[in-house]
Amino acid sequence: MAQMFPSIGEKRPKMPVFTVEECPRCGTKTKRAFKNGDYVYREGGDCPKCQAKTLITQIFAELIKLQ
Amino acid sequence: MVFFDFLREAILQSGLFDIGNLGTILYVLLFVGSTFIFLFYGTRIQAMVIMGDVRKSLEKLQGLKEKSRKEAVDYLNNICKAPTNAQTRIDQALEYFTIMPVDLDPNGIVGKLEHVIRLQDDRVRNEIKAIAPQADKVQLSVAQNMIEVATSLNMIFKIVRHFYIMSQKTKSYFILAQLQMIMPIIVQEADALVSAIDAFKLAQPIGDGLGPMVAGKFMLGKEKIEVERETIYAKTEYKGRNLLVMKAEGPMGSVGRPHVGVEKLLQDPNNNITTLIMVDAALKLEGENTGEIAEGIGAAIGGIGVEKFRIEAASVAKGIPMYAVVVKQSLIDAISVMKKEIAEAADKVIAVVQRIIEEKTKEGDTILLVGVGNTLGVGQ
Repeated sequence: MAQMFPSIGEKRPKMPVFTVEECPRCGTKTKRAFKNGDYVYREGGDCPKCQAKTLITQIFAELIKLQ
Repeated sequence: MVFFDFLREAILQSGLFDIGNLGTILYVLLFVGSTFIFLFYGTRIQAMVIMGDVRKSLEKLQGLKEKSRKEAVDYLNNICKAPTNAQTRIDQALEYFTIMPVDLDPNGIVGKLEHVIRLQDDRVRNEIKAIAPQADKVQLSVAQNMIEVATSLNMIFKIVRHFYIMSQKTKSYFILAQLQMIMPIIVQEADALVSAIDAFKLAQPIGDGLGPMVAGKFMLGKEKIEVERETIYAKTEYKGRNLLVMKAEGPMGSVGRPHVGVEKLLQDPNNNITTLIMVDAALKLEGENTGEIAEGIGAAIGGIGVEKFRIEAASVAKGIPMYAVVVKQSLIDAISVMKKEIAEAADKVIAVVQRIIEEKTKEGDTILLVGVGNTLGVGQ
């Protein structure tokens, strides 16, 4: 019965969307703002540490709380 | 007796029933009057209050419906480069309906359902292609998703409006009361649908894309083979086991046809699959946490049941165990841009899948892993 009425969830505020690029060589993760054309498992930019080509591993919306 | 004498004295001294006490008379009249008003007109007053409530919700639904239509039209005109005179055709597409097959005789109903749903999907797809012939595959899939949202909202609005007008015409308090009771859920669902538009427009992954995200990671760097329309699989290995990993073809906004893919791969004698593992997003109950991982048994796939039926039938025919791993999320989370908690759950799900493979299979076995869900914004 409960499965017929699952949680609809809370209305979300506008959340910024981020893209995480991961370096397959050194494992460095870089988080930046989402750009049009980004998708998960697409080749990203160069790794800031070892200059190898990164891979986009995550795209997500995150609520930024101001201190 | 002494008590009653005392009470009478007290009442007389208080002046409560003094004929000159105008305030008391008015008070009594008001009390008696309001009792009669509420006795005879109470339901009508209540109906007026409910009608006001429902009208407000209906106006909100109309606003949401118009917003979704405008977004779909703008996307088709600006991004898919549809000609400006395509608006009438888009409006026609929003009015498409599907007549579900008769189920008086349930024998063969699944086949009929699948046929009708496939026809509906093809028709909308072809219509969008005709409206915007220059659009690429990703844009077409996004436009299809947006048209589906706008069509759903259009239908919700029309049904609610129908009952609202009917209750006005028939002066039926009971229709109104039922409408008012269900209205908060309808409005919340409509809000959830509208919140999905932002993700669709920018082709960002949605919460439902968790399954494809997990499968996509296993498929990285491997050759992808098309097994069915918009459904691909790749062969890989894990600790001496052969893995066949399947998902909808990304980064388009599509769920593919995983049921047909599973059937084909299971029936292929060359594959000799011994275990089926499915990963999907699951709608949580109130109180459960977003991103929570749960393991279970069975075919983890949503929809109206056609896909689940065919996967179960194929699995039963081969006597193959079905393991399910799901990530809990609300309706809004499932169709809006993927939340951080859900994105971070993907790696944990991969660890769970690897553990299931190690515990439930042995070296040399072949496992079919299916990432179920809308793969918008998720490649492979």
